[in-house]
Amino acid sequence: MLLIILSMMFSIFLTWFIGLLPVISIRYILIRRPLSKKSSKLLVCVFWAINLLIFSALGTKSRTHIALYVVGLVSYFIYRTDRSMKVLLSDIFFVICFWKSLNHLSLFLWLRYLRKKKIVLLGITAVTLSCALLIVVSSLFNGFISAFERSAVEAIGDIVIYPPVEVSGYSQLIERLEQSKLVEGATAALSSEGLVHLSKGNVRAVSVWGIEPERHNRVTGFKQSLIRQKSSESKVSFEYGGVEKGMGAIVGIGVVQKPDEKTDEYDFKAVRNIIGSDVVLTTGSVSFQNGDDNKTPEIRRRTVKFTVTDVIFTGVYDLDKNIIYLPIKRLQGLLYPDDKEPAADQIQIKLAGNVKDDAAMKEVSNIWASFAKEELGWSQLQIKQAVIVTSKQMQSKFVAEIRKQMGILLLIFGVVSSSVVVLIFCIFYMIVESRQRDVAVIKSFGGSGFSLAFVFVWLGGIVGIIGAGLGMLLAYIIVKNFNIIEGWLSAVFGFKLWKSSVYMFSRIPTDVDWHSAGMIAFFSILAAAAGALLPAIVAARSQPVDILRYE
Amino acid sequence: MYKFILPFRYMFKKRISYLALLTVVLCVFIVVVVMTVMAGLVEDFKQKNHSFVGDCVLGTESLVGFGYYEDFMRELASREFVQSVTPVIRSYGLINVKGSRQSRGVEIIGIEPVGYSRTTGFGEDVYYHRRDVANVFVPSYNPELPGCVPGIDLVLERNSRGEYSPPDSPWRLGLAISSFPLTPKGALSKAGLGLVNTRTFYYSDHSRSGLATIDSSAVFLPFDESQKLCGMDRPIKRTSFLYIKFQEGTGLSEGCGKVRSMWSKYVSAGSGRPAGYLLETVAVQSWKQNRRSFIAAMEKEQTIMTMMFILVGITTVFIVFVVFYMIVSHKSKDIGIFKSVGASGGDILQIYSIFAFFVGFLGSVFGSLFGWLFLRYINDIEAWLYGRFGFQLWDRSIYAIGEIPNRLESGLLLVIMASAIFACLLGAYLPSRKGSKLRPVQTLQVNQL
Repeated sequence: MLLIILSMMFSIFLTWFIGLLPVISIRYILIRRPLSKKSSKLLVCVFWAINLLIFSALGTKSRTHIALYVVGLVSYFIYRTDRSMKVLLSDIFFVICFWKSLNHLSLFLWLRYLRKKKIVLLGITAVTLSCALLIVVSSLFNGFISAFERSAVEAIGDIVIYPPVEVSGYSQLIERLEQSKLVEGATAALSSEGLVHLSKGNVRAVSVWGIEPERHNRVTGFKQSLIRQKSSESKVSFEYGGVEKGMGAIVGIGVVQKPDEKTDEYDFKAVRNIIGSDVVLTTGSVSFQNGDDNKTPEIRRRTVKFTVTDVIFTGVYDLDKNIIYLPIKRLQGLLYPDDKEPAADQIQIKLAGNVKDDAAMKEVSNIWASFAKEELGWSQLQIKQAVIVTSKQMQSKFVAEIRKQMGILLLIFGVVSSSVVVLIFCIFYMIVESRQRDVAVIKSFGGSGFSLAFVFVWLGGIVGIIGAGLGMLLAYIIVKNFNIIEGWLSAVFGFKLWKSSVYMFSRIPTDVDWHSAGMIAFFSILAAAAGALLPAIVAARSQPVDILRYE
Repeated sequence: MYKFILPFRYMFKKRISYLALLTVVLCVFIVVVVMTVMAGLVEDFKQKNHSFVGDCVLGTESLVGFGYYEDFMRELASREFVQSVTPVIRSYGLINVKGSRQSRGVEIIGIEPVGYSRTTGFGEDVYYHRRDVANVFVPSYNPELPGCVPGIDLVLERNSRGEYSPPDSPWRLGLAISSFPLTPKGALSKAGLGLVNTRTFYYSDHSRSGLATIDSSAVFLPFDESQKLCGMDRPIKRTSFLYIKFQEGTGLSEGCGKVRSMWSKYVSAGSGRPAGYLLETVAVQSWKQNRRSFIAAMEKEQTIMTMMFILVGITTVFIVFVVFYMIVSHKSKDIGIFKSVGASGGDILQIYSIFAFFVGFLGSVFGSLFGWLFLRYINDIEAWLYGRFGFQLWDRSIYAIGEIPNRLESGLLLVIMASAIFACLLGAYLPSRKGSKLRPVQTLQVNQL
């Protein structure tokens, strides 16, 4: 958070420093007099273009360059003003920071109203609650989306190539991919569906994945999720004890055990006991024979006994519930017994750090095209039939839908929370009415209506700042302790609020979305200030003579 | 009389009270719309689940199933409270589209179409045989071939409006379905033979239950064929479930209770039979208990949403509090005069409570009215937004949701209105109490006038 604030402050400072330094130098050091309209406009345009180039070179991500337009307007004012530099800088300072209203009296009034007018606390509480609620909702949704996107990357890597048919001789493709600087690692995988017989009458439908464990780990980091091999320093493998080579399997935790109905947690002790036990897998091996209608698939039952050598717990319910990993060669032997060459139906790729998706996609597409042409002898049409996607693209439709749901929910709560404006209005109207004599006294001592109005608007802003600050704090505490709070609620009410079978993940996301939090806090402050605006205008317009007369 | 006239007067003369009214209107409007849509979705989902399994489910989750069900079915069918009963097999299998090497896991649901459609809503879910469910497994292009009814998402694409475009008649599509035959002890049968229990069925109709898991991964097969596929035809015939529909007027818990007691008698009478131990794994559940894990998630979301609205509604209480505080402060002289002519503190409290009631009542009436209007046209608004901006509340190609539910439930409406009135009374209580405790000597002294 501190880093974000510091970087924002630095970028604001940089924009204004770079933007105004040459302007002030020209006006007060070089020319030392106000410039004509024409020259001012010309200089503004020239420096706007120069600034644009400088900030683009510095890597600005702004599309509108709105800050540079504001800098341009201020520059024009500086070129044209006849004030001295000292007066100008002091004016800018006051305009930016305090709009001339920060004086001892204003400060005194703010502190007095905040301390003495207990009703202001209601406004602060309302802003706090609304702000906290919106931040919690947005953090929860964004956390879910991040976890969802991350889960795909952790399961299949950053980019996946899906060829139209199984690719044989994939090791050369992997070699080519790994020679690229953009690619950190690549691995082949073969997938199918099957039925697994775990114990008497206990049969499950599962997704069977054939992998090369060490390579797969390099791409997905799945070792971290393995219960037995997680802390081992040796390479990830299907080997365990005296299990025959190629006969080991890694199964999803949800395949071998159901989470507890109440706590939604797995019994890891029981899960560890499963390691070393046998499971029987059946999958359909399809071979084609000429029949009545050209091609009749003959499905042969391929039933093979495997030993569970490890259990994987990713925290992603669907994956844990359905997955069984087998050695790729073994699975290929099951599925396509007639194929001699090793085959894969997808190539999973992990990108090197800080590589942009677009560049990587281009590179991967080129490598794939050259491999398919040179090694497989495929035509352009066949090559283009392969689907190459980033894992984020694969989920983009669903992610967009979740984002839309989040937007709708935030809109609903935002509209209801907008009644904070009404609340602040009522509170400030009351304060203005009850403190009319303060207003009249300030005015009779020479205070302008404008500065008086700003005392109240700023007070509204301060209510907003305190409320938003407390709201952010409250939201932070809630979000960071979501799982603990949920545990309490489960203990008290006896039902699990967050179930992995419903919400995909076994743990509630606990990252605060600071970007949304900042936006929500900003609008909360704005809403509080807007609520105080009308009472402030009423205060500004009041006449001391009406208030202070004896009758 | 003045207790009613004064609140009316305050209501229309004091403009600040409009703000409280406006806030209540806004909150009630939003809550009515969101909760109606949410309640509609939950109710619709419950209805689909109810329609899928009938009123009562007797069965076991074990894929081995249980035997001796036929006698019990006959016994059930003879009872007055039972309208219909049907056996259902639910198991897993692999499906291959003819000509493809790719296989995928599906749920096999073995049914007797006539009995099943009498007990559940299956007759309405199928497309081509809606009026002829008995022949649902007879492909129109070749009645000799064995038919199957896949979930609609297995055979048809859903467009962005959530609609499908089924052809005039089902096309010839062969689906090779394989299953894992199990012995009554749960072991693999035919383990040494090498050939899986596989049979090709032909697409004869499709089912659209509205339940995503069923529509996307279930295939309905004839009961006898499913029994053979899953190895449940020998040595004793077995099934996974009996779905039961009660006669009208039979309460759910009453009916389930009767079935439960019948079943326990049946089990104890038949103990000692071969594979009789399987009967002990059977449970009798109402449809709500059976589908609990699916429904509970949506109900929980509804509860969370309600809690969030309560949290946001606190702001409304604050607004009413501040508005009443202002009105009471302004009307302290009125209070002084009333008290000086004999009104008690309780009378003053009543005046402001009636005023708060008016605010709450009018706010909830207008909020509900606007909510009702919005809900009435919500689907038209969504259609317009989709046509103009491509915006949909839910992407129908992802969610199995049809129209946005917009039926206003009177019970829900009453609860929302009562809550709004309660919030107003709560917000007004402290200022009213303060007003009721004012003494004429405080408010009518000369420097206050």
